[in-house]
Amino acid sequence: MFGLIGHSTSFEAARAKARTLGFEEFADGDLDVWCSAPPQLVDHLQVTSATGKTIEGAYIDSCFVPEMLSRFKTARRKVLSAMELAQKNGIDITALGGFTSIIFENFNLLKEQQIRSITLEWERFTTGNTHTAWVICRQVETSAPALGIDLSQARVAVIGATGDIGSAVCRWLSQRTGVKELLLVARQPQPLLDLQQELGGGRILKLEEALPEADVVVWVASLPQTLSIDAVNLRSPCLMIDGGYPKNLDTKASGAGIHVLKGGIVEFFSDITWQMMEMAEMDNPKRQMFACFAEAILLEFEGIHTNFSWGRNNISLDKMDLIGAASLRHGFQALGLSAQIDSTPALTTA
Amino acid sequence: MVDMAVLAPTSISEAFSADQLPDFSTDAYKDAYSRINAIVIEGEQEAHDNYVSIGGLLPDQAEELTRLARMELKHMKGFTACANNLGVTADMPFAKEFFFPLHDNFQKALADGKVTTCLLIQAILIEAFAISAYHIYIPVADPFARKITEGVVKDEYTHLNYGQEWLKANLETVRDELVQANRENLPLVRKMLEQVAGDAAVLHMDQEDLMADFLSSYQEALLEVGFTSREIAKMAAAALIG
Repeated sequence: MFGLIGHSTSFEAARAKARTLGFEEFADGDLDVWCSAPPQLVDHLQVTSATGKTIEGAYIDSCFVPEMLSRFKTARRKVLSAMELAQKNGIDITALGGFTSIIFENFNLLKEQQIRSITLEWERFTTGNTHTAWVICRQVETSAPALGIDLSQARVAVIGATGDIGSAVCRWLSQRTGVKELLLVARQPQPLLDLQQELGGGRILKLEEALPEADVVVWVASLPQTLSIDAVNLRSPCLMIDGGYPKNLDTKASGAGIHVLKGGIVEFFSDITWQMMEMAEMDNPKRQMFACFAEAILLEFEGIHTNFSWGRNNISLDKMDLIGAASLRHGFQALGLSAQIDSTPALTTA
Repeated sequence: MVDMAVLAPTSISEAFSADQLPDFSTDAYKDAYSRINAIVIEGEQEAHDNYVSIGGLLPDQAEELTRLARMELKHMKGFTACANNLGVTADMPFAKEFFFPLHDNFQKALADGKVTTCLLIQAILIEAFAISAYHIYIPVADPFARKITEGVVKDEYTHLNYGQEWLKANLETVRDELVQANRENLPLVRKMLEQVAGDAAVLHMDQEDLMADFLSSYQEALLEVGFTSREIAKMAAAALIG
């Protein structure tokens, strides 16, 4: 059985969802009530692969909402309790979705293996980052040419280049895709130098230096609230892959020739009966989902019950090949520009 | 993973400082401990008496219930030793008053021969509360108390399990009484928790953690008994909201 751990995009959305799922009493509670609320296994689902194989899964709502981010202990407890619930339900492989994997990584929850009477078995969990990285690369490779961008002549900026997903994307784009030049952007200087050395290339730049040069921008960092992007300084066409979480790049960058694509999203070949992806504001919630969730589904299809994506900078090209091949075989497709509703807002500047 | 500018570093450092051990030798600590420790001692004594009483309602189970009751007395002695170790005198009058509403409800149910209500109060509510509180106490306890509490918490699962199994086996006949007993007693647990939040904080036990872990244990127990998560959410709301 596979599992997905997720959360609502906001407190208001969570309350509305609780109401529709029959948890009216929780819906009426305030944020303090939600902070104390235990995680809920809210959905059992079946998924049938393009190969015909059918598997069972469960969706666990961590009852976390982004409004709790400033409450460290609450956020930590939400993620660990959801993982505990997954393990107690005997779920073999569970993906940490949305903020839950970010919290796990940034708060170093690897130190918190003992949760009450349960010792968490890490091999039951995956961040899903390998599939996310592969999907983002695939989106670059298919959507850039569709906009007339020749990748062999293109500069690709990776914002958040030294992160787990960012470094994997850099590796793939330089070794497999063969882009003209990688522009490496991240906050910490030393990891950037290490990455540049590992890649044997790439230019380290500040964000404002990289943007005007880039034909493709891959965002795998969350956007600072104060960020403003002046569309006048961007190349046209410019493909922007919004691989961060939450996905709000389209509110920051828009204009003629700027094409913002939701990054790390896949579309399944047939409808899945579940209620949860509407919460994640997917355009087609019956088929679209985060690639990290899809990784748990793929690992279950393939019978790979191990923490496939785990820790930082462990994503190899071999692993991306493996998960990418599985993704195609079982009927997933990386989200393309044409599948997006209104992907290019008309002539407005940020 | 993604860099996260939205998470302020201050929240992280605050949280780490909250995880540090308290100074067990201060007057403030000992003062708070005198009430928390008394509650635990009184709780174990009540548990002993309650299991013996339930044995009166379930004669075929009396032997097993006496065994459970004896474990609670052993726990009580352990926690008394914890207070002695810190040079603290447990404030027993406070603890008696603290437990009175729940004690009173149990005695009424006992007089009416309501096994279901008695089991819900003792074997589910009190045990789930104890288990979660002990789990939260263990990382911030003094070394002596830590060892004792770790031993106790293992036993309490046996007690919770006893209540779960009996209620599960009889769910169809006891369902309505369980829901009613939950409505009458769960709010008391919440009030008890709020009443000691200040003292618990001195011991570095966070009120929200206590409530959340209690609700997790309680939810898990009711799932085991056979309620659905929606039914449990409704039942939990009785304590959380309003």
